[in-house]
Amino acid sequence: MKHVTEYRSGRVAAGLAERIAALVEPGRTYKLMEVCGGHTHAIYRHGLEDLLPAEIELVHGPGCPVCVIPMGRQDDAIAIAERREVIFTTFGDMLRVPSSRGSLLEAKARGADVRMVYSPLDALRIARENPDREIVFFAIGFETTAPSTAITLLRARAEGIGNFSMFCNHVVVVPALRAILESPDLALDGFVGPGHVSTIIGTRPYEFIAREHGKPVVVSGFEPLDILQSIHMLMAQLADRRCEVENQYQRVVREEGNPVALRVIAETMELRETFEWRGLGFIPQSAMKLRPEFEQFDAEICYPLAGARVADPKACQCGEVLKGVIRPWECKVFGTACTPERPIGTCMVSSEGACAAYYNYGRLGRRSGRVAAESS
Amino acid sequence: MNDDRCITCGDTAVVATVISLDGTSAVVESDGVRTEVAIELVGGVAVGEELLCHAGVAIERVSEDLP
Repeated sequence: MKHVTEYRSGRVAAGLAERIAALVEPGRTYKLMEVCGGHTHAIYRHGLEDLLPAEIELVHGPGCPVCVIPMGRQDDAIAIAERREVIFTTFGDMLRVPSSRGSLLEAKARGADVRMVYSPLDALRIARENPDREIVFFAIGFETTAPSTAITLLRARAEGIGNFSMFCNHVVVVPALRAILESPDLALDGFVGPGHVSTIIGTRPYEFIAREHGKPVVVSGFEPLDILQSIHMLMAQLADRRCEVENQYQRVVREEGNPVALRVIAETMELRETFEWRGLGFIPQSAMKLRPEFEQFDAEICYPLAGARVADPKACQCGEVLKGVIRPWECKVFGTACTPERPIGTCMVSSEGACAAYYNYGRLGRRSGRVAAESS
Repeated sequence: MNDDRCITCGDTAVVATVISLDGTSAVVESDGVRTEVAIELVGGVAVGEELLCHAGVAIERVSEDLP
């Protein structure tokens, strides 16, 4: 497959791994954060950690929109879904996310009309086909997903569709990175930057990381060679004492991003004053809501919502996992009470979640062994 | 497309080839699977071109950049 097989050559990967190892300075260790859940998934799926020298630790970031959604928002989603007049449409990953009232899948089992879609445009089609029902789409995701929400809103308005609304939970990546950089818990050496988010926003928004925090950033693709090349680029910057924003993923990321996508997002959505992230707490201007001109499509206005803050289950340590403070398998309930089949926390729900990635690909031996060796 | 990943996250965006065009939509194919995507964000698309697609929308053209 074009754009897949070329980026999975074992021979090239082995060469890159050697070049990465050659850049390790004696007596130094490196903590590199991959921001995206997609990178976390690819790293474990392809066993990339096993190719890296022991001195390099990959820390998993908060870039999984499913994982960072707080319980209270999921409770509100279920409250909307349980209304008799509503067909509640959502990406499949949100179906199993636990709330204080169970999951959307459990709501569906109780009789709620919950349907999985692959695009908000599919939800709009359902609205056209069911004029006597109210169709709500659970809009969630980073800047990569926001353009599909924006286009759907513009089409809904242009077509005058009156039985369609969005429960908007879009988040933006830069404020979360700021929160992590200001967290005293973490001492990071550099960032593997988001790939497809950067397709939309470009590479300029990360410049503050290099300028204000002195950390290198390399925006990376998602294939194994993309990620290894990005780690090599980060290590080369650290060896040269440089800190810049570099773009490894030039085949789809431009410095300025996609200006048309940015324009449709700005036309339909605006930043919220603040938004709660699981694990990171409230972060100012870190999420989007619909603009007042689109209030007829805003489920938060159309339906009465509790909007309550709901605490995570006590046993769940997703917050610490999301900040990279503990590794997934160090959580008290990892793989025992919390599994992908019966998740307690969001990190185990999404396949992009750090816990699910560890669990599904069984990458425990090397890490556990390394920690055991460190503590002895 | 890409069932082993989470669609909520934009990281699942896939490269697909344009098969046919119809106004603001195109039929694209990836790994033998055909689907319709909105093309407002990429403009001036031609049949045979490769697009990065996510959640029913083409978000960027793909340029050659092989390792």
